[in-house]
Amino acid sequence: MGQEDAIVIKNVGKKFKVFLDKGQSFKERMLFKNRCKYEERNVLKDISFTVKKGEAVGLVGHNGCGKSTLLKLMTRILYPDKGSIEMKGRVSSLIELGAGFHPDMSGRENIYTNASIFGLTKKEIDARLEDIIKFSELEAFIDNPVRTYSSGMYMRLAFSVAINVDADILLIDEILAVGDTNFQAKCFNRLKEIKKQGTTIVIVSHSLGQIEQICDHSIWIDGGLIREYGSPYDVHPMYLEYMGSHLNFGGSTSEKKSDNRWGSMAAEVSSVQMLDKDGNEQTSFVVGAPVKIRVTYELKENVPDAVFGIGIFRADGVHCYGTNTRIDKMPDFEITKSGYFEVDIEKLNLLPSEYILDVSIETGDGIPVDFYKNAKRFITYSPVSDIGVLRLDHKWETNC
Amino acid sequence: MKELYNYRQMIFSLVKKDLRGRYKGSVLGFLWTFINPLLQLIVYTLVFTTILPVADIDKYYLHLFVALIPWIFFSSSLTGGSGSVIAHKDLIKKIYFPRAVIPISYVTSCFVNMLLCFIVVFAVVILFGNGINFVAFLYLAPIMLVEYILALGVALISSAVTVYFRDLEHILGIITMAWTYLTPIMYPIEQITENPAVPEWFKSLYMLNPMTPVVQAYRDILYHARVPELSTLLSAFLLGITCLLAGCIIFSKLQRRFAEEL
Repeated sequence: MGQEDAIVIKNVGKKFKVFLDKGQSFKERMLFKNRCKYEERNVLKDISFTVKKGEAVGLVGHNGCGKSTLLKLMTRILYPDKGSIEMKGRVSSLIELGAGFHPDMSGRENIYTNASIFGLTKKEIDARLEDIIKFSELEAFIDNPVRTYSSGMYMRLAFSVAINVDADILLIDEILAVGDTNFQAKCFNRLKEIKKQGTTIVIVSHSLGQIEQICDHSIWIDGGLIREYGSPYDVHPMYLEYMGSHLNFGGSTSEKKSDNRWGSMAAEVSSVQMLDKDGNEQTSFVVGAPVKIRVTYELKENVPDAVFGIGIFRADGVHCYGTNTRIDKMPDFEITKSGYFEVDIEKLNLLPSEYILDVSIETGDGIPVDFYKNAKRFITYSPVSDIGVLRLDHKWETNC
Repeated sequence: MKELYNYRQMIFSLVKKDLRGRYKGSVLGFLWTFINPLLQLIVYTLVFTTILPVADIDKYYLHLFVALIPWIFFSSSLTGGSGSVIAHKDLIKKIYFPRAVIPISYVTSCFVNMLLCFIVVFAVVILFGNGINFVAFLYLAPIMLVEYILALGVALISSAVTVYFRDLEHILGIITMAWTYLTPIMYPIEQITENPAVPEWFKSLYMLNPMTPVVQAYRDILYHARVPELSTLLSAFLLGITCLLAGCIIFSKLQRRFAEEL
């Protein structure tokens, strides 16, 4: 382990025995031996990487690829079957918030209990108490029992404790969805501050945008192996490309429509493309870049009154934008042959995050012809770190 | 070890939570800490002086009481400790901390309970006892420590094994019952050692019981008001340390897969 390294992971593998029906007691194990059958699942096969001090790394991958298991190995909740994991310094994890909270004790007492689980002594907690309470914005309620808190307040308190532990290494699993948007932004900024102070951070997230804003490197895990390692801007487009190809056209035929698609299929969307200004297909865009969405459809039956639409959702579910040709006061279209429609977006002002594009063809009465959710995934990135949902075109002017 | 020391605040707060939560909601609340052993004392005294009288003992209730309180501490550490890790499974599955914190804090809370009961013991000894020997009282702290070590060793083993083998929790009920009678609590040790009807092999096995010298020492100090024999103290200490070492080794081996088994 080098001087500069905070985390060194070498050839780590982890198998789980997945019991189909496990006997818990002696009798059950003796009598029903065949019930103890299990499958061995090789969740992590051979993972090696190093994280330098003060670096932030994001782990991405589809559900069940083993990234959360890897994080649990790093926190030492689980132990690897092979390989070694070395961590330097105090490790804190934002995996389970509010561990050990007792509903009948006051917020203040719970801060002590919860922080003690992170290995803080009373003295250390005393020193941080003010910061924790202030960060949680719960000054007025801090001496009330926690059971009187709303779930948002509960999470705020839990997050405040966890983030004020002052760890050398911070492990985060998909929890930046705490409280209202204000508090989320606050957490996120706090995370950036922590990083600036030199804390090493490892994040597991499905929100690629968050990883891009904080992390120096992104590790794409697939099937228990590292598939790509590099800058988020290099790794994420590859990842999205892969996800897209497995999500959209993964063996679906015209007879069997997946859950994310419905309608009469009189006109069926055959491809959805997002093109940059040179007409090349892309899955990642700089914020503010021009984008052309082209939807090609194949006609099975004539549609006399078609309405075309698009919708854009952020990966966390926020509906960012949606419109259709009728909203935009265009006459309904009569489709008599296969063709395409295009939406030209002059400036894609959506701030860095991961987005999902829905496209739709409907009849004039609003009956879906092909309503296609999750048709495409894309990310936006930006060298500017403004915050919010979208960038408003703006200029500054002062008289100083 | 060093890590456990860093987590002392966690042990402290778990002990506090446990003591506070134990009698929550009951009318008499914390008083049960005292009432429960006193009721047991009354039942046993009634049984063993009137119904099934054991050897003629002066102040049988005191003879019993000074052994019963330490025994309750030990047996509750053993049986209660076995479920302690399982009771905290949500914590174990989701967050890292040295797992030994859990049995340690459970045993410690039982220990604090015993200390509280000792207030009553002292009161009884002062009021009705066979005199007080201050030199002998000095030996009370080390013998409590030895018992703590012993109880911790046993709790480490039972808590870890129960995770893999849930039957143990139920088996332990009967084991503690047998153990109660195999330890000189309700009768004087002479009943075994100086009884010609008891075969020799049984006597040597009997002396291997780590709780025998512990209880014997308590009784020497508090009932007989005399300094316990060095051999008693030494064997109690050695058995305690052996038990703790075995507990540590078994626990550290088994705790690696806790999160998966729970």
